[in-house]
Amino acid sequence: MTTTTRPSGDTPEQMSSRLRSFLLRQEVILLIISLLAVMFLAFGSDRFLTANNLLNQGRLLTEIGLVALSMTFIIITGGIDLSVGSILGLCAIVLGVMWDPKGAFAFPLEVAVLICLLVGIVAGFVNGLIIVRLGVPPLITTLATLALYRGLAEGISQARSVRGYPEEFYVLGQGEFLGVPTQLWVLLIFCIITAVVLSRTVFGRATYAIGNNELGARFSGLPVGRYKILIYTFSGFMAALAAWIFVSRVSTTRSDMGSGLELDAIAAVVLGGTSIFGGSGSIIGTIIGFILIQLLKNGLALSGVTTDGTIVVIGTVLILAILVNNFIQRRSGNG
Amino acid sequence: MTTAAPTVGGRTRLSQSQSLVSRLVGFATSQEVVLLLVVVLLFTVVGNANPRFLAERNVLNIFNGNAYIAVAAVGMTMVIISRNIDISVGSLIGVLGTISGAMAVNGYPIWSSWLVPILLGGLVGAVIGFMVAYLRIPSIVVTLGLLSILKGGLITVTNGEWITDMPADYFLAQMRTPELSLPGITIPAIPSPIIIMVILTLLAALWMRYSATGRAIYAVGGNAEAARLSGISEKRIIMTVFIINGLCVGIAAVLWATQLSIIQSTVPAGLELQVITSAVVGGVSILGGIGTTVGAMLAAILLSAINSALVFINVSPYWFRSVVGVLILITVLTDMLRRRRTQI
Amino acid sequence: MKTKVFTLLVMCAILVLGVVVPAAAQDRWDGADDLPVNPLACPVAEGETPEEPAAAEPVPYNGGQPANAPDLAGQDIVAVDVPKLVGIGYFAATTLGQQQAAEELGNVSVTTDAPTEANIDDQIAVIDNYITQGVNGILFAANDPVAIAPVLRRALEAGIHVVGYDANAEPDAREWFVNQAEFNGIGKAMVDNMVAEIGADGSFAIVTSTFTTPNQARWIAEMQAYQEKCYPEMTWLETVEAQEDNQLSFNQATTLINKYGADLDGIFGMTSVATPASAEAVVQAGLCSVDAAAAQAPSAEEAVAVVGLATPNAMKPYVIGDNAGCVKSVVLWNPVDLGYAAVYVLRAAVDGTLTSESTSVEAGRLGTLQVVNGSEILLGAPFVYNAENIGDFDF
Repeated sequence: MTTTTRPSGDTPEQMSSRLRSFLLRQEVILLIISLLAVMFLAFGSDRFLTANNLLNQGRLLTEIGLVALSMTFIIITGGIDLSVGSILGLCAIVLGVMWDPKGAFAFPLEVAVLICLLVGIVAGFVNGLIIVRLGVPPLITTLATLALYRGLAEGISQARSVRGYPEEFYVLGQGEFLGVPTQLWVLLIFCIITAVVLSRTVFGRATYAIGNNELGARFSGLPVGRYKILIYTFSGFMAALAAWIFVSRVSTTRSDMGSGLELDAIAAVVLGGTSIFGGSGSIIGTIIGFILIQLLKNGLALSGVTTDGTIVVIGTVLILAILVNNFIQRRSGNG
Repeated sequence: MTTAAPTVGGRTRLSQSQSLVSRLVGFATSQEVVLLLVVVLLFTVVGNANPRFLAERNVLNIFNGNAYIAVAAVGMTMVIISRNIDISVGSLIGVLGTISGAMAVNGYPIWSSWLVPILLGGLVGAVIGFMVAYLRIPSIVVTLGLLSILKGGLITVTNGEWITDMPADYFLAQMRTPELSLPGITIPAIPSPIIIMVILTLLAALWMRYSATGRAIYAVGGNAEAARLSGISEKRIIMTVFIINGLCVGIAAVLWATQLSIIQSTVPAGLELQVITSAVVGGVSILGGIGTTVGAMLAAILLSAINSALVFINVSPYWFRSVVGVLILITVLTDMLRRRRTQI
Repeated sequence: MKTKVFTLLVMCAILVLGVVVPAAAQDRWDGADDLPVNPLACPVAEGETPEEPAAAEPVPYNGGQPANAPDLAGQDIVAVDVPKLVGIGYFAATTLGQQQAAEELGNVSVTTDAPTEANIDDQIAVIDNYITQGVNGILFAANDPVAIAPVLRRALEAGIHVVGYDANAEPDAREWFVNQAEFNGIGKAMVDNMVAEIGADGSFAIVTSTFTTPNQARWIAEMQAYQEKCYPEMTWLETVEAQEDNQLSFNQATTLINKYGADLDGIFGMTSVATPASAEAVVQAGLCSVDAAAAQAPSAEEAVAVVGLATPNAMKPYVIGDNAGCVKSVVLWNPVDLGYAAVYVLRAAVDGTLTSESTSVEAGRLGTLQVVNGSEILLGAPFVYNAENIGDFDF
């Protein structure tokens, strides 16, 4: 890759190549931090760096990972989606209520899962519609739907949890495929798809363009509105997918599922070097972000740190990582 | 369409010589009128269905119930107007409230157990402000990190032990004004949180409208570049805003801690969303530059009234959150539509 | 233009859904699960013969067993305690009891670690980490009996002894469950104590945590069954949710008081948070039945009684302290004993003195505890704290 460090006045291609090499650097920094953390944690417990433990951690991070992938797109456009946790709860409840053999619907499981995914898509689509067509800022829109969707989940479930799914339903959340937890394959596939879409397609470039300068993107003929609706719809779909995996993993549905998930996902994305103001970021960064958070949680626990102590460390790492990034960013910007 | 500055409408009869700021404030006042009407409507409808809803005691309880949220929303209003956000308020209220209670139980003078948390709140605000303004970390990242640190740290220190047995004169939020009997009218005893809420809200509203620093907050949030060109130090303003926010959170924490005879010494779940919701429903634009503290206070009261009304009219509490969500959407949409009508 | 119309239609649909659907109100509780209720016999007047309780069928052992657990009889063991959450007085008390037992036994070390919010996912992750870390025993109080089961089964597979307390999991996912008091026992104690204060024709409301919390849901269902059986004249007004949040519990109790006025005779607090907050609401409304401090004591019509589950320290101000007499009875087992018993049960399971054939277990200062329902160990009947005895407890 040819990196030109000429000051302003570059052609768009040069700008974007500079940007890309720059992003690469941010991820490299994060990767170094992660490796240091892993080494440090491995000293704390000899059970940390084992295939068994790491694969098991993969099971636990899948839901956050899936949601963080779509959140990356949203944050790159300069938006945010606080409603993902509630969409997860709503979809989980819908899945349970639609399937529940004693309930009013008693659909076959496949149909229930389909409806669950559909509800997620609609929920995300509604978010997008309000944001794009009515011009309500994403933070407010999703703050409102955070309450609305969770409320619907509670209302629909009437506080009843649905249990007792057939054995084959648990394959996704508790089973294995080729020795690796099933849901990790799903996560892996979506990691690849989103990474390719964001870095190699017109759509991906448009996502950055919207985040950098929405008005400019509009004037250059990009269907900004349609792209944004698509991205929020995708976010709803990912939350629904996460709901499906979550229900299969814990074998029950409750209306409080996924509460607080949005902050975990945002933390992973931001830790991964995506700017909260939009315009820059990458899927690789997000992947490193959510893996680092999960490894910290796990490794610290194995070294004997309690849950509350772990929360403190993660908060500190989040601030420090961004601080270090900013520092290096500014130095390289000056130099 | 989603850009920050609403275009100037032909409907507003303000002359061009008037500052952008006062026109923006003019816009926002109408959100307050809307809110006030909604509150009045709610009281009328529910009061009709069940007259006990309008009983003096219930009305005071409604105003009192969310007073600490309204106080925190004063600071949040400024933070959001300056184009920032603070999602650590809930955790900070939990931590400062616990400190306040622990001081009172351990024999420190009562006044210090009220004052120290407020000052500490200001200090934490200064730290956040410094990181946002000078170290250039986005406020959502700083406060997201801080939220974790405070939440985990509090449990680590207290082990979740409740604080009880505070001295009898510690309970600031339970104090009331004496009942006033004027000729022809009796003013009931007003709980202190309501008085603090109203005074603080009005002071902040006046300060933001008439002082140079207060107006600069709108300028920074509305158009940082223009603000810089007109000689406003963005960094100083952001520092100021976060310090004031910290002080407000401190006051809210003291009200929260002195309301009941037990302090849970944990972080109240979801409190930050309630504070942000109050500010936003109150007409504060998340894009910065617009809004007033009065709207935020009305919104906090409205949320409290809705909570109470749902119990009074026998709506299943399962649906409470849906109603809140729809309410935020409706208020924001009316606000958007009104603003759009003044656009081209 | 077309998109605008479409958008508006969608918006209208959401609003209608959000506003109209809630109108389908549900005025009272019918239990959050479909398990059968089993109300105990009604109290009888002196002289009459009490109704014979149906002899319970003995249930065979139905717990799970750890696979290839190492024989650690008499040796030092490391255990972890994972309650629903850390940060509430109740679980601070169970932790205290566990530490007491560990100190007495001398060969058990217990650490408590749990999420800061009662969240099923976080609790699963915590347990998962301790399985990897390799402890000898896990003590748990489940946030959800089904959701926690897979991870507990993994613990059993890893040869870890698993004992529950306070809130059960599916039986085959743990070896033993220390049951603080049976659900119908709690239901009876709560209702009987309320009747003693407000009479058999009183009306009452309930403040609970959430409708999904399994223990609270069962207790309320049992209370309802017992009340319908023994006191059909009582009026059940309403059940409200208040999370595990002090402030919200207070607001909800206050709203109930304001809504029903003189029609409300009593409030049940279903959690150790809701009960003191309800008592506080009654005090601040000036509606204590015995209120020495109030300028004008409320008439018997207006007074509101509070009965509930709570820890003694939180309730002392209302039973014997500044507002003495405001609350007359607090129902609870002793959570310190509960934690204490759980550690003894774990030790006995490790030592092999408690097996699937056992009918009882020795638990230190608590003496012999009975095995019931197959794989549960009963702590005893619920305890009622009142003005005479509450001063003797400090937790």
